[in-house]
Amino acid sequence: MILLPCPWCGPRDADEFGYAGEIRPRPDPSTTTPAEWRGYLYLRRNTAGWTRERWFHRMGCRRYLVLERDTTNNDVRPSTDASSGSGS
Amino acid sequence: MSMRLGPRVGEVIDRDEPLSFTWNGRTYPGYAGDTIASALAACGVRVFSRSFKYHRPRGLLTASHLDPGCMVQVDDEPNVRGAHRRVRPGMDVRSQDTWPTLSFDVKAANELARRMLPAGFYYKTFMSPGWLWPAYERVLERFAHGGVVGPGKVSALDGNERYDKRHAHPDVLVAGGGPAGMAAAVTAARSGCSVMLVEEELELGGHLRWGDDVDLTALSELRGRVAATPGIEVLTDAVVLGRYDGNEISVLQRGLPHVAERLVKARARTLVAAPGLIERPYVFAGNDVPGVMLSTAVRRLVNLHAVKPGDRAVVLTANADGDATALDLERAGVEVTRVDARRGGDVTRALGRGRVRAVELGDGRRVECDLLVTATGWTSAVSLLTMAGDQPRYDDTAARFRPDASRLPSDVMATGGVVGDGSCAQLVAHGEATGREAARRSAQSSVTASAAPPPLPVEPHPALFRGRTHGMVDFSEDVSSKDLFTAVEEGFRCPELAKRYTTATMGPAQGKLESVNVVAIIAEATGAAIAETGTTTWRPPYAPVSLGALAGRLREPTRLSPLASWHHSHGAAPLVAGAWIRPDHYGDPVAEAASVRDGVGIIDVTPIGKIDLRGPDVSRLLNLVYVNKWSKLEVGRVRYGVMCGEDGVVIDDGVTGRLAEDRYLMSTTSSGAVTVWEWLESWLQTERPQWRVHATPVTTSYASINVAGPRSRDLLARVVDDVDVAPEAFPYMHVRTGRLAGVPGCVVWRIGFTGELSFELHVPAGYGLHVWERLLEAGRDLGVRPFGVEAQRILRLEKGHLIVGQDTDATTKAYGAALDGLVKLDKDDFVGRPELSWGGQPGDGQRLVGLRMSPDSLVPAEGSQLLDHRGLICGRVTSSRLSPALGRAVCLAQVEAALAEPGRQVTVRLVDGGTARAAVTEQLAQVDPEGVRLRA
Amino acid sequence: MAEAYSALALLRHGVTGRSWTPMWRERPLERGYPVVIIGGGVHGLATAYYLAANHGVTNVAVLDKGYLGGGGSGRNTAILRSNYLTVEGVRFYDRSLELYRGMASALNFNVMFSRRGHLTLAHSDTSLRTMRWRAEVNKASGVDSEVIGPDEVKRLVPEMDTSATARYPVLGALHHPPGGIVRHDAVVWGYARAADRLGVHLHQHTEVTGIEVSGGRVTGVRTNRGPIATPVVLNATAGWASTVSDMAGVPLPVQTFPLQAAVTEPVKPFLRTVVVSGTLHVYVSQTARGELVFGASVDPFASYSTRGSLEFTEGLAGHVLQLMPSLAKLRLLRQWAGLCDMTPDFAPVMGATDVAGFFLDVGWGTYGFKAGPVAGEAMAECIATGQTPEIISAFGLDRFAQGRLVGEKGAAAVGH
Repeated sequence: MILLPCPWCGPRDADEFGYAGEIRPRPDPSTTTPAEWRGYLYLRRNTAGWTRERWFHRMGCRRYLVLERDTTNNDVRPSTDASSGSGS
Repeated sequence: MSMRLGPRVGEVIDRDEPLSFTWNGRTYPGYAGDTIASALAACGVRVFSRSFKYHRPRGLLTASHLDPGCMVQVDDEPNVRGAHRRVRPGMDVRSQDTWPTLSFDVKAANELARRMLPAGFYYKTFMSPGWLWPAYERVLERFAHGGVVGPGKVSALDGNERYDKRHAHPDVLVAGGGPAGMAAAVTAARSGCSVMLVEEELELGGHLRWGDDVDLTALSELRGRVAATPGIEVLTDAVVLGRYDGNEISVLQRGLPHVAERLVKARARTLVAAPGLIERPYVFAGNDVPGVMLSTAVRRLVNLHAVKPGDRAVVLTANADGDATALDLERAGVEVTRVDARRGGDVTRALGRGRVRAVELGDGRRVECDLLVTATGWTSAVSLLTMAGDQPRYDDTAARFRPDASRLPSDVMATGGVVGDGSCAQLVAHGEATGREAARRSAQSSVTASAAPPPLPVEPHPALFRGRTHGMVDFSEDVSSKDLFTAVEEGFRCPELAKRYTTATMGPAQGKLESVNVVAIIAEATGAAIAETGTTTWRPPYAPVSLGALAGRLREPTRLSPLASWHHSHGAAPLVAGAWIRPDHYGDPVAEAASVRDGVGIIDVTPIGKIDLRGPDVSRLLNLVYVNKWSKLEVGRVRYGVMCGEDGVVIDDGVTGRLAEDRYLMSTTSSGAVTVWEWLESWLQTERPQWRVHATPVTTSYASINVAGPRSRDLLARVVDDVDVAPEAFPYMHVRTGRLAGVPGCVVWRIGFTGELSFELHVPAGYGLHVWERLLEAGRDLGVRPFGVEAQRILRLEKGHLIVGQDTDATTKAYGAALDGLVKLDKDDFVGRPELSWGGQPGDGQRLVGLRMSPDSLVPAEGSQLLDHRGLICGRVTSSRLSPALGRAVCLAQVEAALAEPGRQVTVRLVDGGTARAAVTEQLAQVDPEGVRLRA
Repeated sequence: MAEAYSALALLRHGVTGRSWTPMWRERPLERGYPVVIIGGGVHGLATAYYLAANHGVTNVAVLDKGYLGGGGSGRNTAILRSNYLTVEGVRFYDRSLELYRGMASALNFNVMFSRRGHLTLAHSDTSLRTMRWRAEVNKASGVDSEVIGPDEVKRLVPEMDTSATARYPVLGALHHPPGGIVRHDAVVWGYARAADRLGVHLHQHTEVTGIEVSGGRVTGVRTNRGPIATPVVLNATAGWASTVSDMAGVPLPVQTFPLQAAVTEPVKPFLRTVVVSGTLHVYVSQTARGELVFGASVDPFASYSTRGSLEFTEGLAGHVLQLMPSLAKLRLLRQWAGLCDMTPDFAPVMGATDVAGFFLDVGWGTYGFKAGPVAGEAMAECIATGQTPEIISAFGLDRFAQGRLVGEKGAAAVGH
């Protein structure tokens, strides 16, 4: 199992985390169009390579974190807390 | 006929401990330390199994764990490797898939039709007539090869049938306890590392164990160093199964007291793979006749188990190990004819059926013998390294694939025979250098410079794969070199395709013996070089592993409320609801429901999700996640809310109460307790990190009890200490906190899922049972009784209250759940607002309605389909019960919006295929639609 | 022209020792094809075959970056069924099952279709309700499906622990008698051989590196073996659907997840039926060779890595033993993983796109193999006629922009 670097708890088994998927900016709901909103809902970059994504440390600090991961081999780089501003 | 030799220097049998066991019902002797195969071979047994397809007699080939000819059933355990498993007194050993007996097997008749049964023959026949195929299929199934499992075979689980697991975190894990592995372990441990040394065989030593006096001296010296070095944990009879991401190494450990097997999950800082070499069979006609053995098999039998494998031997040798085998045989009194492959000698055919009778040589000579030994080359045991990303390359000099260490991650290293050749001293030196470097890497210090071990020499070896005739390539699957040639002719030129077509390497040995021969023969058939033909992807596990060991002790925790033992001792029927076990009823759900309608009942609703919300921005959070409005909720009030996803689909519902200015308690569905909390956190931590809200899941901090029925206020009044429950003091949809039955810190909200006057009590969990029993005691004269989930379902359905996930599904938007009135599009933003503002116009999709059946006592099964006037599906019954209060069926249904008007008629397709009529009702609620009772 | 297969042909070859003609030929890569299909799995090969067989479009190239059937077609657990939740799903997969049933004679290649019956276990009243819902939709659509009780489950699978005290008691099951298994590789080879005989060009080890689009129309593809001019490209890949579609500038509602599977050593046959437990995330069948083949739900996070995990086998073994405790001594022989392109509504993406000539047959999630024949038949019609066949009309890419998702997601999480 891969190890994920939690910024608060250190490296932990991936099964301690919930996978929240690639980061997508949420369109402004007051001005959005159906096409833009449904793109946000359904379309995915689904990159084969390095991606930025969110994970939730469910069995640890209970923080959402932002992580870069290479989806071809699951290599990871250091992460940051999702609320630190780099998340969106 | 005894083939047991006199004592050998390196033998592993204990002649002071004789034992007996049975083989196909007959009793045989053996010694402690014998494998099943060595004990039988010592008694002159030469045939251990029949082959998969042609049921040819098979004997020992490798005399190791990999031996394809020695799979046996031991008691209730199928497919036991008889050449590895130590024999135990009283063992019941049987041959597999032979009928009527091993020596006379009816299915051997297949051999007669062998020319008509080439690889993949079944793809080319039985196509017509199609109706006969199932009969053919039954016949083919009879050829499934292997032992037997199933209820008839399982004895009651005794102490030895347990499996367990262990987690380990060694600095260095050494896979393979041969000379290089032992040396690496010792050096790494002396450098201060914790080391786990894992050896598949029953003792350390690798090939030194069956070697000559010099080897045995080196062996004893190395074993001494391992024993004398602190920090090494030695696991023998344990096999490294796989290397996974994060350098997670799985190890299966056998032969332990008290457990059948143990799975060790090791997170190693550095893995040192020292798996050594596997001797490769040679492909020629008759190479699977019992009595054709690899040189290592012979040396194991003679030197470890003191078994004479034959009386007259031909030894085809291409290397020093073959030469040594010939000497071993001569010392054991076997007459030996040497055929030296380095000087052009070859074997073209082994003659005989149940045993070798003679051998035809490349020069045309024919030699009578009962044993043919081949020493024609080696295969690097690279599978563990390829699991770590290595891509082995074919080395023409050594005539084998060798690892390409440059592709290995920094936490995996290799040493020993898998890397190169060399004397024992050279292997040990390489192991030591590798152990030192592994220790350096494990220390994760970049200070000391890397000292890569000097390369091992690579000795030239003749490239011997297939001789001049065709023979068996995959012994477990009965795939011959002819089959591979045929496959290539038919277009299967890529090894992966040819393997799939012929099933070569798909059997229990998984290609460890035969994979390189397969590649070499495909290269020969296609005219390509071995190097460009490619190698195999090795997949875990390295060795087959029992489901029991992988599972360990079954761990399926359940969630229980603090009242669970009370329910159990009062006859509650259990209901599995996600992780929870809940009381479905206590014997009579209809009576339970009636007591709530007429008097008072109490139900344990602890699984309801509860989230404590604090902070100045809670109302903003509620406004965001619920579709309705929350900014004006006063302290002391509760409100029903519905949550949707960003796509407008209903995901959860519940009530939330404002306990104080900055403190709220949210409830969710039982199944949504965790997901809703994570959902809130997701909004708070990613989209709205500036909001000051603290969310704490408190589901199991409280025992939750719903007191329901017209007499519930009377009952509650008897147990509250400081809460005024009078109707005007505690109106419907209000919340109070206080002391109940002496318990401080309780939360009470007045809500009505059952449709009756009711109060939901959230009591600190440790006092749940106390309050529950106090309620029952205090309400005895009121006729209070506990009710279960089934009664609650009847009551809520009579009242038309929906259950998210039952009356809605993964596509139901808020309007489809008939929640139009709740959706407040005049809010600036809430989750799902854009989607609800466009798509979910009343009229789209399906909509939740009540149904009145005709005849009205007919209760259609939940899931029954609704048909429109054209007979097309237009909806389904989501909930249905016979209402005790009304004496007729009450139903909720999802129906196409166009039909969702009161009075519209639909057809209900019943489970038995019949139909009934139903009409859409005015409201969802069938009992007390005005809500008089719950406002009482 | 390849020869026909039959018992007689086997006999003749056996007696004469004459060799067989190749199942398919290696042909030169031409500079242009009227139709290029990317992906030499069941979907791509079936589409090529039906283009040639049903529509007379034979000048078709099928390109695969590896070998035929090396992706999902060779990694799935080969379970067939049509007991879906939605009317669209039932109709679609039932046509596929019909094509599978007749495939051996239609392709003159025995794909070893084995009608086993298919059980989806219900361990809670919630899942029992979903099974009833599925059964009723199936029956209303003419598909044989019924909810059965624990006693009947026990009769069909004697090894099953149906005791009421089990942690996940078997409360019943959705029984679907027409379901079964098939030899997945044989399906690939059968279509490849039949397509080759009709003139289709199969190009293995030919990787598409780009798609040429000009003026909103497809004009060609670039490959590692050179460019190919073509007005029609079908993306029939799995695991690489997004990568290939990105080449044409068509973003997809797809996320790629590994799906792991495993097989045991062979033992004598004891399990006739395909058994699925959604709650326990496991499905199991026993092949004619005696091996048990196991699958599970997709991995918990998106990835293109097919290395597999130890935890998958641990969880799998635990769940299998919950269902059939007597299998503890059976050994797992091999684990592997394939890639699944998951869509938001668990339904595929099929048909034309905004780029003229660029067609999709992707997003198959965990259901791709079952659908291979009908998908090929429908895509062939779609490409040949330029019209979207009614049977796939619910599966267009535009449904996402329009917010009209398919309701298949209402079914259990594991649907094999």
